[in-house]
Amino acid sequence: MAASHPTTNPVAYGAGRRLFDFRALLLVLSAVFVLYVIGYPLVQVFWRSIVVDGEFSLANYTRVFLTPRNYIALWNSVWTALAATAVATVLGTLAAFVVERTDIPFRSGFRFLFMLPFAIPPLFAAMGWVQLLGPVGLVSRALQSLFDWPAVPWSIYGPGGIIFVLAVTVYPFVFLTVAGALQRMDSSLEEAARTAGVGPFRIMKDITLPLVLPAILGGALLAFVGAIDNFGVPAVLGMRRRFYVLTTRIYEALTIPDIPLATAMSILLVLLAVTALALLRWLEGSSGRYTVVSGKSVRPHIIRLGRARPYVFAATLVVMVVVVIMPLVALVITSLLPYWGAPLDPELLTLRNYERAFAQEGAKRGIVNSLLLAPTAATILVAVGTLISYLNVKGKMRAAAFLDALGTVPYALPGSVIGIAMILAWSNPPLGPSLYGTIWILLMAYLMRYLSYALRSTRATLHQIHDSLEEAAVTAGASTLRVLWDITIPLLKPGMIAGWVLIFMPAFRELTVSVLIWSAGAETLGVWVFLLQDSGFPERASALAVATLPLIVLLYAVAHRMGWGGERARS
Amino acid sequence: MSDMAASKPQVKVVVAGLTKRFGDVVAVNNVSFEIMENEFFSLLGPSGCGKTTTLRCVAGLESADEGRIEIGGRLVYASAQGINVPANHRSIGMVFQNYAVWPHMSVFDNIAYPLKVAGLRQQEIRNRVERVLAMLAMEGLEDRMPNQLSGGQQQRVALGRALAMNPQVLLLDEPLSNLDAKLREMMRVELKRIQKETGIPILYVTHDQTEALAMSDRIAVMSGGVIHQLGRPEEIYNQPRTPFVLDFIGVVNYIPCRIALSADGGARILLPDGQEAVVGTVAGTAAAAHGAGQLGVRPEDIDLLDPVGAPAGTVKGEVEFRSFLGSTYEYRVRVGELALRVQTGKNVHFREGARVAVRINHGHFLAAETGATGQRAS
Ligand SMILES: Nc1ncnc2c1ncn2[C@@H]1O[C@H](COP(=O)(O)OP(=O)(O)O)[C@@H](O)[C@H]1O
Ligand SMILES: [Mg+2]
Repeated sequence: MAASHPTTNPVAYGAGRRLFDFRALLLVLSAVFVLYVIGYPLVQVFWRSIVVDGEFSLANYTRVFLTPRNYIALWNSVWTALAATAVATVLGTLAAFVVERTDIPFRSGFRFLFMLPFAIPPLFAAMGWVQLLGPVGLVSRALQSLFDWPAVPWSIYGPGGIIFVLAVTVYPFVFLTVAGALQRMDSSLEEAARTAGVGPFRIMKDITLPLVLPAILGGALLAFVGAIDNFGVPAVLGMRRRFYVLTTRIYEALTIPDIPLATAMSILLVLLAVTALALLRWLEGSSGRYTVVSGKSVRPHIIRLGRARPYVFAATLVVMVVVVIMPLVALVITSLLPYWGAPLDPELLTLRNYERAFAQEGAKRGIVNSLLLAPTAATILVAVGTLISYLNVKGKMRAAAFLDALGTVPYALPGSVIGIAMILAWSNPPLGPSLYGTIWILLMAYLMRYLSYALRSTRATLHQIHDSLEEAAVTAGASTLRVLWDITIPLLKPGMIAGWVLIFMPAFRELTVSVLIWSAGAETLGVWVFLLQDSGFPERASALAVATLPLIVLLYAVAHRMGWGGERARS
Repeated sequence: MSDMAASKPQVKVVVAGLTKRFGDVVAVNNVSFEIMENEFFSLLGPSGCGKTTTLRCVAGLESADEGRIEIGGRLVYASAQGINVPANHRSIGMVFQNYAVWPHMSVFDNIAYPLKVAGLRQQEIRNRVERVLAMLAMEGLEDRMPNQLSGGQQQRVALGRALAMNPQVLLLDEPLSNLDAKLREMMRVELKRIQKETGIPILYVTHDQTEALAMSDRIAVMSGGVIHQLGRPEEIYNQPRTPFVLDFIGVVNYIPCRIALSADGGARILLPDGQEAVVGTVAGTAAAAHGAGQLGVRPEDIDLLDPVGAPAGTVKGEVEFRSFLGSTYEYRVRVGELALRVQTGKNVHFREGARVAVRINHGHFLAAETGATGQRAS
């Protein structure tokens, strides 16, 4: 027998205890963050919507349903979003099938461009479409002179225009989910049909389409949420015709300001979004039987188009150019015109709009603020998100799982609600000075809105880091902190970078929340572009928008390469 | 702390009364064993029997509920004294089933990591890694990243990393199960060679009995969290102490019969179809000298003979099926109601359908009432 007397002092090896303390400390820190940044504003917004003058009351809600202006806005939100979703679903599904399942040339180029509208702010798209199809739009004028029309027989302003522009803004949700499902689908199912003598298009209709149906519906629900959440499009295309949806009506109520009414309407918006997302959850849960779509990466079955190839290519190209490229080109042209509505004469093109736009203090501050706020928010959120995901996934701490769930709630909240929550929570906070009227309220808004993005990408990456990688380091002699630093963080880095970019991008051009809480001195890029557009300077608004496009497209390219938050990581 | 008498082989690892529960599941139940210096010690058992949990308790990756663990003469876990040395202070090397080679580090950095953590000097690290690489026949691959390596090479990196610090014991959890058959064969030989070279004792976990038999100095056969039998591979194979061990190690024919022992260590058995057979030697008969039960017989303990002039004590059978396995034949022979698996040398041939005489050379008797086999006094 070997010596059995203890040769080590147990206290010297009390790392187990120290580890507990170190994790508990991190947990407390992240709990304070989540409760302060998300929990408190959430309570505020729900509480204030049902309490009037210190008493429980549904008066705010009855006001929504008794005033036609208000309930019509609710109804408008629902039906325009539904219509836009229908169009987006057809467009996104068709595009995904062509790109993923046929042999048209430049498939990866198409994939890149069809998802580009994800990155372009919807406000920019709305402006671009006004400049194309509006009363004095580039296309409108061309057609007028061609057909000798006194005016074009349509109006971009109003529900039709809103539906169209929303559709071409939100279809990437459908494209992304359907393309992902098509990539992951086990092609042996299709091959089985092919060996049974079924033709390729029949296979698409009878086998492939039913299998990706859950993905189509899932993408449609996300598109719906994106559409009801949107402010920029109905603001540019609806407000001047007094066609209101909930987001624009909330904006208007806040300019009066009637905060209780805005709060109640924003809660209705939450109900719409939550309903759609609950449906999505249910759909994902019940589509477990479609496990064929969730398998490993497989070689998809590609349809050879043969002689139809050039035609399909040309048709896809036209759709892509119209939907993605033309609004951007319109922005560029408009930004170079001497005045809005000027004839398209190369001699007249000028950079004056850029000079003027950038001469304004507000625009400068807007750009600087956005360039400060977006990376600050992204950095803080990735740090906090990493911490919570680590405690949740690796520490297996219940409380961290709760923080993860709470941090994910704002994902279901439309931006208007977050804006109102900010006003309610930070105008007169119980502790510290009012943040309203400062840039800090914008930072708080972005922190609340985008924490879920950081949580999602770090959580997903941590799940992929097998425990044994960390255990191997422990058995090699490394302490807990050393393992974290040498193994976990380096392996987590791709997820952290992805989360950072995915937050930076939308935060940089955020409008829906910012437009409710900005103030003089605390403008943002999105707000300033909107204000220029809204007060009748589309050419300057375009100049400002175009100036930021290179950064937006660059970040999009980075995100695209990284696989859009893991959705397409396996392709 | 390890200056023990040089004459006796030194005990390197002691596990005593180890128990680990997960909720209601007792994953490891009062397990005890010792590993000597230079020893290749295996935990063998079916999936879910508690092998990994035992190994992880030794490593310190899991804290046990009860028992005592010593590594290299040092007490690292003792429930009674409240001692639980964390894994990073146990001086062990561990190889995981999925290799767990760090994908963001080169081969060199993977192997050097334990040395860096230990605070060795740059030059010393370089020398040691080079020695490990040479031992693993991986010179020249130090700058490769893990995704540029084959499965077998990644396995070697994991092994090198575990060996780099000259640990008191090397812990291996099914390290070969992800390799293809050829490589597995090669790595078995490699592992044995490396162990001989380094002298580091190995605690090896596997569910593959062939692997355990081929490589181990001693084997502990586990099932349901307890050790059923602990011994040299030959003992485990030839003298299984419980029906579970008999069944788990190798292939067994179960022949329901009545038995009557004879004085020479053999027995006569009465088969269900009324034939009587003489069995050369019978193990596990302590419980019942006479009676009903089952005789467990391994395929290679049965001979097939020509029925013409067959000796007494054989029974009549018919070849149903034959497959050629290269160095051996495997037959299925029908004896009355029974279908027996028989393994013979490659120069014993009988056609399918041929009548044969079946001679049972050796069996393990399982008495009907207890189901246990006692160990014949040896
Ligand atoms: N972390 C755990 N939590 C709960 N049960 C576990 C855990 N690890 C192992 N078990 C259970 O303990 C038993 C033994 O598991 P394990 O040691 O992994 O078996 P083996 O390695 O022999 O296949 C199994 O019943 C298993 O389900
Ligand atoms: Mg195991």
